[in-house]
Amino acid sequence: MRALVIDDSRTMRRIVARSLQGLGFETLEAEHGQHALDLLAEGPVPDLACVDWNMPVMDGLTFVGRARAEPALRGMTLMMVTTESEQSQIVRALAAGAHEYLIKPFTTDAVRDKLELLGLLPAEEHA
Amino acid sequence: MTTMIAGDDVYAIAEDLFAAMVDGEPGTVRPWTLPLPDWTDPVHAWVDLHGDWSGRAVVTTERATADDLARALLGLPADEAVSEEDLQDAFGEVANVVGGNVKSLLPRTGTMGLPQVASVAPLLPGSALVTQVLLDWGGRVLELTVRDVP
Repeated sequence: MRALVIDDSRTMRRIVARSLQGLGFETLEAEHGQHALDLLAEGPVPDLACVDWNMPVMDGLTFVGRARAEPALRGMTLMMVTTESEQSQIVRALAAGAHEYLIKPFTTDAVRDKLELLGLLPAEEHA
Repeated sequence: MTTMIAGDDVYAIAEDLFAAMVDGEPGTVRPWTLPLPDWTDPVHAWVDLHGDWSGRAVVTTERATADDLARALLGLPADEAVSEEDLQDAFGEVANVVGGNVKSLLPRTGTMGLPQVASVAPLLPGSALVTQVLLDWGGRVLELTVRDVP
């Protein structure tokens, strides 16, 4: 399994990547939505993208919309990972095409639970 | 428009942040019960909140404490120097998580700016203190404030 971590904070990218790596994922990182689209255009498409909301250049909601509109990215699961925790914001993200929503701060257990819901947990993590 | 944000709610946000991302559960932060000491080498991180209510969430601590916080968040060894870039990013992310969750306490959805970090307290003419929370993180103090900005 491969995951793309999109966040303007290097600290948060490292925290998210560390959690995912502990769950068996290979990770790559992007600093904002446009950077992520550029990486995705180079391929291959990862199984999962973890997307922050508030970022410069291109925010996470715009990225989700752009990714959902791109047929080549249809197989990529999108999980918002953000401090935007109001119900209305969660609804907006899901309406834009996000599959799941994880609110910061989060634990690795919370990441595992979300990935299990999405059917993205590597086999050894189900044990 | 003024708003009420309870100190207990801000403390709960900080407690969750430290337990989840800094120390591991159940976390080690406690309320700071002594008077707030004078800062000697402070670092301030803040985010601005916009909407029906406008305000600012600020986190302040000593630079050495911010360094340790950055090490914990980044998974760096205790003896590794923290670069200014890492300090700004990590401490800014603390303010980002606090501010984002403070925003969720407001009655209506608003927007939030990107985090900023400085060694000089941000000037906010005409602002009013909404709430102040003092945290004890292993004997070091962190101050969290939320201000109403006209």
